[in-house]
Amino acid sequence: MALAADLVVLAQATAEELEGSLSLDSFVLAEQFYFFTVVIMWLIHAGFMAYEAGAARRKNIMSTAMKNILTIAVVTPSFYYFGWYIYGCFEQGGPGLPGVSNGSFLGGAGHNGPAALEGFCGLTAPWSDAMGPNLQDHISAVFFLAFLLFSWTTASIMSGALIERIRLSAYLLLAVLLGSGVWIMDAAWGWSAGGWLTTRFGFHDAIASAVVHGVAGAFTLGVLLNLGPRIGKYDMAGRARTFRGHNTHLTLMGLMLIFTGFYGFYAACLVIQSTTFPGWLNIYLSPTTLGSIAFVITVGFAGGFTGGWFASRGDPFWTLSGGLAGVIAVSAGADVYHPSLAYLLAASGGMLAVYAGTWIERRLRLDDAVGAVAVHGVCGFYGVFLVGIFAGGYPTGVNNVETSFGGQLMGMMAFLPLGFLPGFIAAWILKKLNLLRVPPEVELEGLDMAEFQQDFFPEFERVPETVVLPDGEEVDSAAILLEAYSQLHNGHGERGAVAARPGDERRSP
Amino acid sequence: MIDSFPWEGIWSDLGEEISTFWTFGPGEDGSRTGTYVMTVLGVALMLIALGAFVWLEQRKLAAQQALLRAAGGFPAPGGVPPGPGPSQPPLAGPATDPGD
Repeated sequence: MALAADLVVLAQATAEELEGSLSLDSFVLAEQFYFFTVVIMWLIHAGFMAYEAGAARRKNIMSTAMKNILTIAVVTPSFYYFGWYIYGCFEQGGPGLPGVSNGSFLGGAGHNGPAALEGFCGLTAPWSDAMGPNLQDHISAVFFLAFLLFSWTTASIMSGALIERIRLSAYLLLAVLLGSGVWIMDAAWGWSAGGWLTTRFGFHDAIASAVVHGVAGAFTLGVLLNLGPRIGKYDMAGRARTFRGHNTHLTLMGLMLIFTGFYGFYAACLVIQSTTFPGWLNIYLSPTTLGSIAFVITVGFAGGFTGGWFASRGDPFWTLSGGLAGVIAVSAGADVYHPSLAYLLAASGGMLAVYAGTWIERRLRLDDAVGAVAVHGVCGFYGVFLVGIFAGGYPTGVNNVETSFGGQLMGMMAFLPLGFLPGFIAAWILKKLNLLRVPPEVELEGLDMAEFQQDFFPEFERVPETVVLPDGEEVDSAAILLEAYSQLHNGHGERGAVAARPGDERRSP
Repeated sequence: MIDSFPWEGIWSDLGEEISTFWTFGPGEDGSRTGTYVMTVLGVALMLIALGAFVWLEQRKLAAQQALLRAAGGFPAPGGVPPGPGPSQPPLAGPATDPGD
């Protein structure tokens, strides 16, 4: 009997040890998974840098690229100190109140005192045990890093629209606000299992169509309204000219890098840890698979390229931007869409981006240098809208609230002002302080000389800078830019508006 | 609304078994002074850096603007605008003087 009892004890201990070992292995595997999504997502930022630098004129290359690099320098600490905490503790709308655990709009999980350390909220404070070396926690740090990369992406979405005239420092301040404040607030509300939009309205934006892209586009729109167009962008009749980027190949390569990085982005939006969860989950902890979302993103690119190509009649920039727009349009429902549906919707998204971008440039007269408002903003909200139509009834989150058009509309109504107003107000304040835009002389000469005192292609002779007139003719831009500068200082017209050619304003209607 | 995080027990259990070797971490006695001090210093560095970005760029831009105006390439505000054509030395880089 004694021997049998010993064998039972031994068998039990072995089972416990096996269970512990299996659990540790699973946590370490999950840790590695998120780590490699972070590595892949770095390509998004290499891509943004190449994309925007290629779209810039030769005189603004390094100042454009440096924005993307310094995004990492400022968004990383601000997201660590504030942003992650917002995600963890603002799920119910605002910060938790001391002594209030749950149940009110402002009553989140609490953040003051020992009680704050309970649950996810407590793990997100910068002084949390989960934010440092912790042999018992293989998840929190890499999960934080994945969200940090999302934050860089969100800020970088804005950067391309503002190139060639915004101050680097103004951009960095706006990037902190967007990357570590605005977007992560909407993520807490509608991109988490406990967010009020998720739990009350079944808001469904699985891979962040509006949460990342839409809100970044709305924020950018607010900034652009204050920043104004580049000098010479519009003639006196309000017709748009086109500035040739210095290297379209570099721009297209950047977009391809962004596309590659998007696979990491998509994967990082899922939750996996096999001894805790039954399988792959989306951000709302509803079941899905890694294969399904990878399928949708791939088909989404195909549809987006197709839509962008035909809507732009074969323009290279808009064809690739159409691919991005297509993916963004199907991201919100990527966990539930059939591939054929995703293909069709992505094609419509690619076309929508082209039409919206043209309308924004020519009708709204906003100088969005890379079409960010159209591609990310318009198509981001379009993606959430589509889920309300094509994925209605799908259960979202641990409360299994059904996705509905009304719920999607609620999310859009929350996110649009949440994105637009901070961008507009912050840019307006910077504008009033004369800290938003570089001086016009510096803009005309090129930002690189002011910022870095050097030409970054010293071995190549500078060729005359050209501009494409609204009628398609490409001409030397020097005279146009000089006249725009003079009109600016003499109070004639808005910044950026100048006669198509010297003398043309007299012929304008 | 979720009344409790579904896997709260797991998370809190992890939180109670923290390694104590973390530099400036909580330590065995639970003291967090070092953690808080490092956090405050980090936030201070971040804020100073943001302010310094603004200050340094303002200096660069003002200096370059003054240099360009002094060089005569641009009319002073309110001055006489140049006539049509690139009558001045190149502004944006393109050399127009064949002998340049």
